Amino acid sequence: MTALYFHIPYCVQKCRYCDFCSVPVNDSIGRYCDALKTELQLRRNQYPGLSADTVFWGGGTPTVLPADALAGVLAYADRLFPFATDAEISIECNPKTASFDALKTLRTAGFNRLSIGLQSADNALLQRIGRVHSFEDFVHTYEWARRAGFSNINVDVMHGLPGQTQEDYLKTLETVCDLAPEHVSAYALILEEGTPLHADVMRGAETLPDEDAVADMQDAGMAFLHAHGYRRYEISNFAKPGYACRHNLTYWNNEPYLGFGVAAHSSMPEGRNWYRFSVTDRIPAYLKGVARGRVPEADRILINTFEQMFETVMLGLRKTEGVDDTAFQTRFGCSVFETYSEAIEANRRRGLLDESDPKFLRLNARGLDLLNSVLLDFRETNYWELLR
Amino acid sequence: MAQDLTLIRNFSIIAHIDHGKSTLADRMMELTDTVAKRDMEEQLLDSMDIERERGITIKASAVRMFYHHTDGKTYMFNLIDTPGHVDFNYEVSRALAACEGAVLVVDATQGIEAQTLANVYLAVDNGLEVLPVINKVDLPSAEPERVVHEIEDIIGIPADDAPCISAKTGLNVEEVLAKIVDVVPAPKGSVEAPLKALIFDCLYDNYKGALSYVRVFDGEVRAGTKIRSMATGNTFDVTEVGVFAPTWKTVDSLSAGEVGYIAASIKSVAETKVGDTFTTADNPASEPLPGYKHVNPMVYCGIYPADGAHYNDLKDALDKLQLNDASLVYEHETSVALGYGFRCGFLGLLHMEIITERLEREFDLDLVTTAPSVVYHVYGLDGQKMVIDNPTNLPPAAEIEHMEEPMVKATIMTPSAYVGTIMELCQNNRGVFHDMNYIEEGRVNLHYTLPLNEIIYDFFDSLKSRSRGYASFDYEICGYEKSDLVRLDFLLNGEMCDALSTIVHKDRAYAKGRAVAEKLKDVIPRQQFEIPIQAAIGSKIIARETVKAVRKDVLAKCYGGDISRKKKLLEKQKEGKKRMRQVGSVSVPSDAFMSVLRING
Repeated sequence: MTALYFHIPYCVQKCRYCDFCSVPVNDSIGRYCDALKTELQLRRNQYPGLSADTVFWGGGTPTVLPADALAGVLAYADRLFPFATDAEISIECNPKTASFDALKTLRTAGFNRLSIGLQSADNALLQRIGRVHSFEDFVHTYEWARRAGFSNINVDVMHGLPGQTQEDYLKTLETVCDLAPEHVSAYALILEEGTPLHADVMRGAETLPDEDAVADMQDAGMAFLHAHGYRRYEISNFAKPGYACRHNLTYWNNEPYLGFGVAAHSSMPEGRNWYRFSVTDRIPAYLKGVARGRVPEADRILINTFEQMFETVMLGLRKTEGVDDTAFQTRFGCSVFETYSEAIEANRRRGLLDESDPKFLRLNARGLDLLNSVLLDFRETNYWELLR
Repeated sequence: MAQDLTLIRNFSIIAHIDHGKSTLADRMMELTDTVAKRDMEEQLLDSMDIERERGITIKASAVRMFYHHTDGKTYMFNLIDTPGHVDFNYEVSRALAACEGAVLVVDATQGIEAQTLANVYLAVDNGLEVLPVINKVDLPSAEPERVVHEIEDIIGIPADDAPCISAKTGLNVEEVLAKIVDVVPAPKGSVEAPLKALIFDCLYDNYKGALSYVRVFDGEVRAGTKIRSMATGNTFDVTEVGVFAPTWKTVDSLSAGEVGYIAASIKSVAETKVGDTFTTADNPASEPLPGYKHVNPMVYCGIYPADGAHYNDLKDALDKLQLNDASLVYEHETSVALGYGFRCGFLGLLHMEIITERLEREFDLDLVTTAPSVVYHVYGLDGQKMVIDNPTNLPPAAEIEHMEEPMVKATIMTPSAYVGTIMELCQNNRGVFHDMNYIEEGRVNLHYTLPLNEIIYDFFDSLKSRSRGYASFDYEICGYEKSDLVRLDFLLNGEMCDALSTIVHKDRAYAKGRAVAEKLKDVIPRQQFEIPIQAAIGSKIIARETVKAVRKDVLAKCYGGDISRKKKLLEKQKEGKKRMRQVGSVSVPSDAFMSVLRING
């Protein structure tokens, strides 16, 4: 079993904070879908006999592509990497890019989870960060999605946006909770170099809430979501019982996934080795390469067992559940508690662990807040010492 | 055969930074065919990168040229380069003592600056003839007449017929060469008399070893001569004598009136002190040349490797730098906060900056430097005098009878518009005003006495910013004065950080303590717990700030399966952590120790 990811690098317009790989919609769209099919075929030859239990279409904005084109690629993927009967098949969508008919087509084609990018319910703020839609557009999309038969919907919201206050943020969460989606992703804005927003902030044309204000927003937001029946299962992800995103859990459990399209990342075992690799982020190079029968990769790294162990911890600790020691032992033949005894002890002393379940290496709420510094301790581990 | 003394001219060029000294020297070398134009590396005299970038000369050297005069004779010119900064005042005075004349280069768009004036006085004190030259007359903003008047008014030498040149284009540079013959006196001296050679510079060459640049006043020196240092009594066998023209060139001998280098069995430049006199061991001169003195470092600071593992690399680098720079002193020191490092002594602030920059650039070292300190005289209750160059070593206040600090006599030249703000600056830095005189309309000369302690931080930067770069500044040490000084300590999370301690005047301690604590609050990153920062004099806390505990230190975003990106960010954080110093439980960034200095006075 594996997870499949499809990257659609097109948007109506790039948001001012966004540093993901995306370009304005252009006439390469048709060829892009064809290339995805070719890439599926190439990867199938490389990994024969693989089936999928989760599929995720992200971007960019996948729904800027015609729904039937998306449906066509999805059906093709299903033929080459047969989907499990209960497969979770998600697609990201931005308001104003999908009509009711399009959503209906997608649902019929097999997509069963929709992730809608709202970010904020405040129209002035949406405009300020370069979103092309209004809150009302979002509500339409949401209602159409329900009518089209999507019974598993995620809404993306953000805090730490320019000029945003805690009140603004809670208001957004309130309107979202009123609609009762199954899942909410609540991210803090990361100011990425090279984005227009970064440039604005650097030259003083735009100001972001300070560190404490952002932390306050996050804490208040988490409390709000918790009170409305959403359980935090990862740093920034909240779901009603049974609706955690299985595809994203694949990443956090450090399990294999295969990515298609430009800038898509993969993590795949090959024989006794484990590789991480990614596809070039240049559309022309991608189209050309795939047409010649070879996926142009931007990089490919061999992940040794020690790195796999660290990555398992790095990703696993993002989950409120933590790292499952039973799974860790099955995969690596040793216990996470023994392997990282020193780092664990250091963080126990700092009071960052939740030790309610001896089978899980788990952080408490404060530990999750300080995950980076926790991981620095784990990074110090001398694995060779363990072998002696 | 000894050169005819009447055909020798030994001279220096005196100029303010950027007034065109090196460019003029380049043109002279071209015109005398010392160096072909196409071989000309811009500004040959300044051979170190840092000098080139800063447009200043740090180490003196000498170039020999031959000039064919219109009188049909060929003259030997020895151009002796002088360091251009106040820290090297003594070296400048010795280089000037090796000359009979000096070419004073003044920028026609700027006029005379404090530094130039100080060096001209030094030249006059050494009995040199001064030949004024007005440079940059090709620039539209040039005012040669005004500058001529300024030279006459301030320095008091006639400048009517000063050559108006452009060193950049070569305009009238030939005229300067001719004038050197006329104005600069020929050297006097006797080849038959016992050897007297003045050392005006030392440097270390990887192949030849320690080299001494000398001006021979009497006698003659050649390979095989046994020479003696008149300051130390050490004797050496001369292995080679030569000149720089403009690369090393061996000659048979250096005799009275000439300038060149001596290579001898000298292990390090520390054995040959600038200002010392070489004589022959078997027929010594009775008296050395006047003016030798032992130069003590004026400013000290701690230099530590940013990564403790590089201690030995730092030691090797300092050893190498000292080969070439006898005025650099250092000894091992240990700091609780910074680990193993060195206490280094410098002639002044610029010298300190140059050395640290060379350590970082030429030796690729990452350094942590502590606040510079001057040398204090501390008198105990028992009347005993201690010399303290590190605040950490200051005894408790109860054991001190009184303290003295070094003072400087400062000359500041500025357009009169900035007098108010500069006087305020001097006052803020405990300056005592002496007098102010108008050099000409719109420009004044201010005289102050200031504690050296106050000018080693950012006095020069403040002066420049307050005067928009127009004020110039020169100082000389003028002895010690009794002063009410205290040690200001800083505590991080209750633990004293020795590397942050400074000695300050009592009246300034509160303001300084507050300012530094505020600054530390900004530079120390938030950590997992709250960190109190306290400024203290003895056991008394005079200021307090708090670094709040970190709230969130986590990557919110899921980069679509891009794990390596997350790992890279983590690695970056790890690198940042490595650059931190541990003071008790608190991680302090390396640059915090130096940033403490950047407190505006």
